[in-house]
Amino acid sequence: MYIYNEVDQKIVDERVEQFRDQTRRFLAGELSDDEFLAVRLMNGLYIQRHAPMLRVAIPYGLISSPQLRKLGHIARKYDKGYGHFTTRTNIQYNWPKLEEVPDILAELAEVQMHAIQTSGNCIRNTTTDQFAGVTPDELEDPRPWCEIIRQWSTLHPEFAYLPRKFKIAVTGSPRDRAASQVHDIGLHLVQNDAGEVGFEVLVGGGLGRTPVIGKQIRPFLAKKDLLSYLEAILRVYNLKGRRDNKYKARIKILVEAMGIDAFREEVEAEWANIRDSELGLTDAEIDRIKGFFQPFAYDADAANDTSLQQKLESDEAFRVWYEHNTHNHKVPGYTAVVVSLKPQLQPAGDITDLQLEVVADLAEQYSFGQARSTHEQNLVLADVKNADLYAVWQKLAEHNMARANIGTLTDMIVCPGFDFCGLANAKTLNIAEQINTAFDDLDYLYDLGEIRLNMSGCINACGHHHVGAIGILGVDKKGEDWYQITIGGSDREDASLGKVLGKAVAADDVAETLKKLLETYVEQRTEEERFVDTVRRVGVAPFKEKVYAAAH
Amino acid sequence: MPLLIDRKPVADDRWQLVEDAENLPASGDLLLPLGLYLENKDALSAQAGEIAVRVNGDDDLTPVLESLDSFPMIAVEFPAFRDGRGFSLARILRRAGFKGELRAVGNPARDQLGYMERCGFNAYEFSEEVYSDDFLKAFEEISVHYQGSADDPRPIYLQS
Repeated sequence: MYIYNEVDQKIVDERVEQFRDQTRRFLAGELSDDEFLAVRLMNGLYIQRHAPMLRVAIPYGLISSPQLRKLGHIARKYDKGYGHFTTRTNIQYNWPKLEEVPDILAELAEVQMHAIQTSGNCIRNTTTDQFAGVTPDELEDPRPWCEIIRQWSTLHPEFAYLPRKFKIAVTGSPRDRAASQVHDIGLHLVQNDAGEVGFEVLVGGGLGRTPVIGKQIRPFLAKKDLLSYLEAILRVYNLKGRRDNKYKARIKILVEAMGIDAFREEVEAEWANIRDSELGLTDAEIDRIKGFFQPFAYDADAANDTSLQQKLESDEAFRVWYEHNTHNHKVPGYTAVVVSLKPQLQPAGDITDLQLEVVADLAEQYSFGQARSTHEQNLVLADVKNADLYAVWQKLAEHNMARANIGTLTDMIVCPGFDFCGLANAKTLNIAEQINTAFDDLDYLYDLGEIRLNMSGCINACGHHHVGAIGILGVDKKGEDWYQITIGGSDREDASLGKVLGKAVAADDVAETLKKLLETYVEQRTEEERFVDTVRRVGVAPFKEKVYAAAH
Repeated sequence: MPLLIDRKPVADDRWQLVEDAENLPASGDLLLPLGLYLENKDALSAQAGEIAVRVNGDDDLTPVLESLDSFPMIAVEFPAFRDGRGFSLARILRRAGFKGELRAVGNPARDQLGYMERCGFNAYEFSEEVYSDDFLKAFEEISVHYQGSADDPRPIYLQS
């Protein structure tokens, strides 16, 4: 992983002192609310329903054992003993004290971490595939490109006061595990006809009030041109994006309004001005950054392991976990493990100080000292020897992180909702609990197969509800929580937006409604068809009939 | 109004803002909003003093870019704290070769000054109520930068 040099360290250290002074001036009444709002957001600090919320950056989801331990320490010392992983692969703390935030940031800087640009109208944390660098289906490891983007976008002087937030995702595999098509910019490493690897560039995707799938602005961009092209897109957006209405300020609205062709023309015209500038990446720099992401010293003997097979045959619970919570590794004898943060009775993505330390220890002992966070709010130990999987599973199970539900209905993406968030209209955690209780039979979930269930407590869509195979959106109706359900969405390579099922359902009826949807799926499905495929084939109507007919 | 030029407080501002072309001052150096300047370009050519223009994100910069050398100063307006278009305007003006004074007006915030300087501004005009000499510290809070900008086009790996 990328290791800070003196310059990187200096940037985060100076940033901490800058924010310390900004906080001091704010508390002394020298800095207006509006100005402090902007600077605190650019340091990840929100003021929420009960307390401030601090969002810490985990660049492209990659994190080391010492960093995990530091996050655990912060949870214990400054919070109530837990944190919450987000769809941006960051972690947020819900109970820090405003005046202690500079100290938290200083502690983070000790382990090469920060909260820079985790909020505000600026370029946010770049995200990628949680299996980057280890998945067999990959063309090239996207992480060096994420790091190059991280450095370029960090404290970028021109793009700190954009019309609205700006999110970039990079993938290196034809399988999209980063929801790249619903990002402001999606970058796909692809090969052109000449056999060169570069980027397909999508622009103008996004969720929120107006969900849009990104459009291709360029089928192939040479690697050296990456930053000049990004800068051209950002400059056009910064100058032309709407600023009169925050709900119409994302780049997707600009691209829709101009049309992708006219937008492309503007970008290409701007790009012509800067393409041959110092923004062009040198081979030496690309190689330097790639050097930080070289494959580990894998054990050539790992493939000769026979113990895994024995354990799979002798321990049913382990076998079930292995089938659902692991991913193929490109190196024979190794496996990527998904650490489930979707237990039965805890909010999705929440993790305690102790669990953070357990994952840190497991990473150190079994996975080259690194872990990853996923946009589905889980963690990954990407490089575990097959012979060690049993020990890893036992430890995870002991600490409630081995629920074998990855990819199933209860592997839900859930925003914190009204219980924590100042923006939310409705609660989400109680609904997630209701669903977890109603669908606690894992065999039933396995029979249903892959179903992405995403839930947001408001239209801002932090829980990505539009791209869930089942999406749940909390809405407020005269002071009561109601839930609008969409079906048929996907955030993968076949990205699509879910369609509204019908009128919203009452809070108590959500799980019951899901049951009817799933019954319909089971009746209608063909063999090998996922829930989302069935919805696409038969349409919303049969689902709608079942749900609303029964209500009379 | 408090004014900083090249990180130093300046007591006298030589530019007089003109917002009404009916009553042009007989002498002195004048600052005009771009639209007003373009409407009165011919009349202004008879002025004894120098002419500067004020631009904002709604303006088409083309006429300014076409005659950059004729302006000793260009003011870029920041109509609201969170309106960041001026950062890009500054970069475009500097990239086009503007060497004169580039001034941020409309009450730039202390915590934006470092970024403004990196985008090519070298002058800042503040309202009396907000300014303090503490603002001068803002330029030195972050001493290193990853990406090139107007101040130094080189990214970190080409520096040193």
